[in-house]
Amino acid sequence: MVAIPAPAATALPDAPRFPFGRECPFHPPSLYARARSAGPLFAVTLWNGRRAWLVTRHEEIRAVLMDDRRFSGAMAHPDFPTVTEARVTVDRNERAFVGMDNPAHDHYRRMFTREFSVRRMLALKARIQAIADAVIDELAAHGPPADLAGTLAVKFPSLVMSALIGSPYEDHRFIIDCAVGRHGLTQTPGEALEKARALAAYFRRLIDDKEARPGDDLVSRVIESHVKPGQLSRDDFAEIGAMILRAGHDTTTNMIGMGMLLCLRDEDLRRRAADPASVDAAVEELLRFITPVQFSPRRVALEDVEIGGTTVRKGEGLFLLLASANRDERVFADPDRIDCARDATDHLTFGYGIHQCLGQTLARYELQVIYPALLGRLPGLRLAVPLEEIRFKDDMQIYGVHNLPVAW
Amino acid sequence: MKVHVDQRKCVGSGQCARTVPEVFDQRDEDGIVVLRTAQPDDRLAPAVRKASRHCPAQAIRIEEP
Repeated sequence: MVAIPAPAATALPDAPRFPFGRECPFHPPSLYARARSAGPLFAVTLWNGRRAWLVTRHEEIRAVLMDDRRFSGAMAHPDFPTVTEARVTVDRNERAFVGMDNPAHDHYRRMFTREFSVRRMLALKARIQAIADAVIDELAAHGPPADLAGTLAVKFPSLVMSALIGSPYEDHRFIIDCAVGRHGLTQTPGEALEKARALAAYFRRLIDDKEARPGDDLVSRVIESHVKPGQLSRDDFAEIGAMILRAGHDTTTNMIGMGMLLCLRDEDLRRRAADPASVDAAVEELLRFITPVQFSPRRVALEDVEIGGTTVRKGEGLFLLLASANRDERVFADPDRIDCARDATDHLTFGYGIHQCLGQTLARYELQVIYPALLGRLPGLRLAVPLEEIRFKDDMQIYGVHNLPVAW
Repeated sequence: MKVHVDQRKCVGSGQCARTVPEVFDQRDEDGIVVLRTAQPDDRLAPAVRKASRHCPAQAIRIEEP
């Protein structure tokens, strides 16, 4: 009998070009896991030939995101790392607190935290449920087949945002077009900047409208609390408003599309996501497993810092790979398996540190409402095409599905 | 168990108030954390520890007896 030698462990490539392609649409690129087992840092080369670091492990990602003294999140920093040329333009023109360090970050963020407080989101929950029921009624009336990704997954978060912000629902296509134009991986710098500017200009007009005709909405309340007393300029509010609109549409839409696809392929997940008693845990597990935000957060080192035996030099960029943290074997047992019985709440899907998602409670409530509403109302829901016909968002910075044809 | 919160560090993510509302609340004016009680019931201890671990600003400190 001839012994077959075990293949040598494949060496990790030397500073490969980032981002990487996915081998399987349901998992991050396999290089994340290989890099993670070798160490917490992995060197890559960006589109402009610059080197940057991927931070791949849960513990080190949290540590960097907590270390505001040695790592900057200022998007205007000349060394801030980017995945595309268009993203440079977007970053340099980011005026909202998402791209600021402290103390400026906290100064602006605190003007908006109460708008997303748990109390306010709980008060909105009945409205979220009513919106869910209405969009499902509409889907049922339309009848099968329907493309869930292009219809309900877009419309539901748009209507919720509209109810919260006070933006007219008819404007949602424009808002999404602006968000997608900025979140793509393939657009030109000119297109990306135009979309970013268009959305801020839109929000600036919305502020004028609400000053003239106030309502019970976020824009009207912030005008009273911070714009009129002179703490927040209308232009700064417009930039922050554009950020909130972008963040509130694209991410939840992709969690609905991808989450439903996974539910339709996994009986246990489907049963748990359909039941209001178990949906909260299912939502956390789906947030962990899907991790739609792919290339943020990012930081630039303000001084030389040693992480796990490797020195990150001052001025070098880092990508904190949330999708890799969420598959870290050190935190989650059998991480590539969906298991709603696990406690998934250690996931970093909303980030960590001062920039952690402002709208995470809203996102959670939307998902906790929409999955059981949809699966409960349409128990025969199934994929209407073979998996090969689903187009995954490999061309976007927020991952999900472009289409999800279903029948029931 | 004794709980301390640091309102200067807090970024108002509200996750403590969402998961352990018996112990944590948010100020009406800016969503910053306020304690309902600094000495929660023992049965809440695991949830409070988790809220401390998950706090994105590490603004919750726990003193264990």
